[in-house]
Amino acid sequence: MTDGHEDGVSRRKYLTAAGTAAAAAFAGCAGDTGEAGATESPTEAGGDEDTPTEESMDTETETEAEESTETEASDEFSVTVTMGQMDSGLDPQDHAETNTNIIVSQGYEGLMDRDKQGGIVAALATDWERVEPGVARFTLREGVNFHNGDPLTAEDVAYSIRRIFFNDVGIASPQKNDLGAIDSVEPGDGEVTVNFQGLNPIVFQLFATNGEIVQKSWIQSNGSDFINSNINGTGPFRLTEYDSGNQVSFERNTEYWGEVPEVTDATLNASSESSTRVNRLLAEESEIVTNVPPQEVSRVEGSDVASINPVPSTRIIFLQMRYDVEPFSNQQFRQALNYAVDVPSIVENVLNGFGSVTGQPTLEQFTGYNPDVEPYPHDPAQAEQLVEESGFAGAEITLETPIGRYLKDVEVAQAAASQIDSLSNVSCEVRQREFSSLVQDLTTGNIEDKPNFNLLGWGNGEFDGAQTIIPLLTSQGSLTILKNDEVDSMIEEAQNEPDPDAREDILQETNALLHDLAPWVFMHQQFSVYGVANDVSWQPRPDEFIDIDTASPN
Amino acid sequence: MSQGRFVAKRTLQGVGVVWGVVTIVFLLRFITPGSAINAVAPLDATQETREAIARELGLSKPLYVQYGEYLFDLVQGNMGFSYIRGQEVTSLVFSKVPATVELAVAATVVAIVLSIPLGVVSATRRNQPVDWLATLFSLAGISTPNFWLGIMMILVLAVQLGIFQTSGRAVAGVTVLTSLVGPRSFLDTLVLWLQHITLPAIALGTYFTALITRLTRSGMLDELGKPYVRAARAKGLPETLVRYKRTLIGGAVITEAVFSWPGLGTLVIRSINLRDWPVLQGSLIVIGTSFVLVNIVVDVVYAYLDPRVVNE
Repeated sequence: MTDGHEDGVSRRKYLTAAGTAAAAAFAGCAGDTGEAGATESPTEAGGDEDTPTEESMDTETETEAEESTETEASDEFSVTVTMGQMDSGLDPQDHAETNTNIIVSQGYEGLMDRDKQGGIVAALATDWERVEPGVARFTLREGVNFHNGDPLTAEDVAYSIRRIFFNDVGIASPQKNDLGAIDSVEPGDGEVTVNFQGLNPIVFQLFATNGEIVQKSWIQSNGSDFINSNINGTGPFRLTEYDSGNQVSFERNTEYWGEVPEVTDATLNASSESSTRVNRLLAEESEIVTNVPPQEVSRVEGSDVASINPVPSTRIIFLQMRYDVEPFSNQQFRQALNYAVDVPSIVENVLNGFGSVTGQPTLEQFTGYNPDVEPYPHDPAQAEQLVEESGFAGAEITLETPIGRYLKDVEVAQAAASQIDSLSNVSCEVRQREFSSLVQDLTTGNIEDKPNFNLLGWGNGEFDGAQTIIPLLTSQGSLTILKNDEVDSMIEEAQNEPDPDAREDILQETNALLHDLAPWVFMHQQFSVYGVANDVSWQPRPDEFIDIDTASPN
Repeated sequence: MSQGRFVAKRTLQGVGVVWGVVTIVFLLRFITPGSAINAVAPLDATQETREAIARELGLSKPLYVQYGEYLFDLVQGNMGFSYIRGQEVTSLVFSKVPATVELAVAATVVAIVLSIPLGVVSATRRNQPVDWLATLFSLAGISTPNFWLGIMMILVLAVQLGIFQTSGRAVAGVTVLTSLVGPRSFLDTLVLWLQHITLPAIALGTYFTALITRLTRSGMLDELGKPYVRAARAKGLPETLVRYKRTLIGGAVITEAVFSWPGLGTLVIRSINLRDWPVLQGSLIVIGTSFVLVNIVVDVVYAYLDPRVVNE
């Protein structure tokens, strides 16, 4: 068990001992429960110790784990991370979830990776180039081994990419669109060539965020149950114990091709209750906890064991308006709502400052961000005048918002709606929706099913503006609420522009245009707020991935 | 009616109830908003990807075919496959049963060990300060929501004082026993186990402690007063038992959530969030079936102890 109690807080140790006595003294609790436990032991042993299917493999890894702990006992450094939810299985290519990604990517890696600022860095590929407009070639790192000891081959890489894109290679991966539209993948001598349908202008951004590499023979010779409860990657940590839905434990991979982490043992667990996560942090049971809500921040800051570590995330929050229904079909009306909402005050008062104001769909850290576009100022008089000019004075509108999907989403929506409602010529109310029911309406592919006006958030791990604009704001986009020929043609031009600088210029222009078109009430960039124990030094990343291998003792 | 017929009748009724549970649980999927596809697919997935996932999830067949297949698999002990988790549902659900049973047993032990002495003391010193205190305790215990009690105990006893762990389950109860012969130190394992289970067991057990305290007190008073009333009082017992079982299961789900206890309750909540229907159905069916089983056992034992029940 890696509980992460490497510090020497004596008070806690004393009290723990005292607590045991107290607990044991709980009127014979121990003895009685022990007896009761004995009657259930057959099921218990089968269910909790080792799932039968994993038994053979786990026994092996556990023995190894014990040996390595013995030899490295002197510099033991355990880190426990508590997130909001656990994984949905360990197959790195059969999920589309941040939490699952955080867990599996301790063991699996892609061809490229990202640094703390979101920049692209080499991982299993040492070099990459665009050999022709729609053809990318990756030179593979030499001397990389999977955790089972087998060397990484070009065939493994090609298989991994195919398994993600082609439905007939094993699974229908929800990551199908994450690497671009692939035509074919050719393994070569120490390199892999990928042919795309079309240019795929952001191929390297896509591969830096997505595309975990698995071992072909390991995947093919094991069933789904096994692949979802074991890890055989090339990454800095190897799996030691998988307790589905409870916790996942890793030890460092001393054979790692890169820098071997200082963290000897890493454990990831979850609690959907934010107060439980903070409690774990303050009780020194966890070193890193995710999504500390604003109301819990002072409790962490006021403690002497942990502090708050915020980072701008890749998620933008906005209120989208359908272009095809009145009054939102009117550009002046849409602009008026942008003037009506006081985003800086919402960030300050609702989000405790954990957000930054936006004025375009592309975030500051992304390709295509236009630094000359200023957010709409808060100007209710201007807003009222624009509403008059639009001819929709007296409009009654409803803002739909998901409940609990984004940081303080309902409160943000209520604040925005009340500011709109305080205009003399518009009334606005909030309708709270369960997220999955809202998503149902948003994803039918039919614009008539979508709400007229709703709050939504969009994460963009590729750090490229087009990855937000294409799905949400072009007429071909699967979630679009806008149909504008100018935007469509600019994006098409950008996606067919091989020169990165020229492409960036086009995207910047598109962002300026979208600011004026105002298909959204531009709200804020959400921050990820982590709680980190004071005895651990770790910097969060904007893409929400928790790279435990970069943590070090303080 | 003979004892045998009574048992057969109760069992048949039980099968009917379980079938009803299965059907309702199956139909729940179709009246609940949010499709499983959206839990698996990213928001911007193409229609093609969505359809491929729907096929994998078995959502493209007609309803009656899905229902028939589900019942057919179920009677063979196969609760289906969770594509969201990539796991067999039967093994997943049953792997969570021990944690929930362990918590329920611990809560029951806490309740019985505390309540019977309290009730006895309270009855023998009727209308004295001890009795008032015990009555106050019962009132508070019955009125306090167990999630609130759980949160308060975590804040004070785990975060502030560091006596217990805030949440989770580090070792199984059975591991404590095997550590008597195994490689782990028995005392360390016991300590670790107690640090995790004590607070949730108290949170879950408090209500029953209060309930049984009151029951014991009134039972004792009757016994002390008029011995012949005992037989009549016994009629009240099954009602309390039923209440006990119901609240134990409902309370366990909430308590598991507060303490991140990895049992059936946590599995249910996680499955609802993921729209993981096969797992949710499996969990609810296991919970429902165990409830029915316990009821049958209680009824049969009761009929054995008090044969008059058979003829009612």
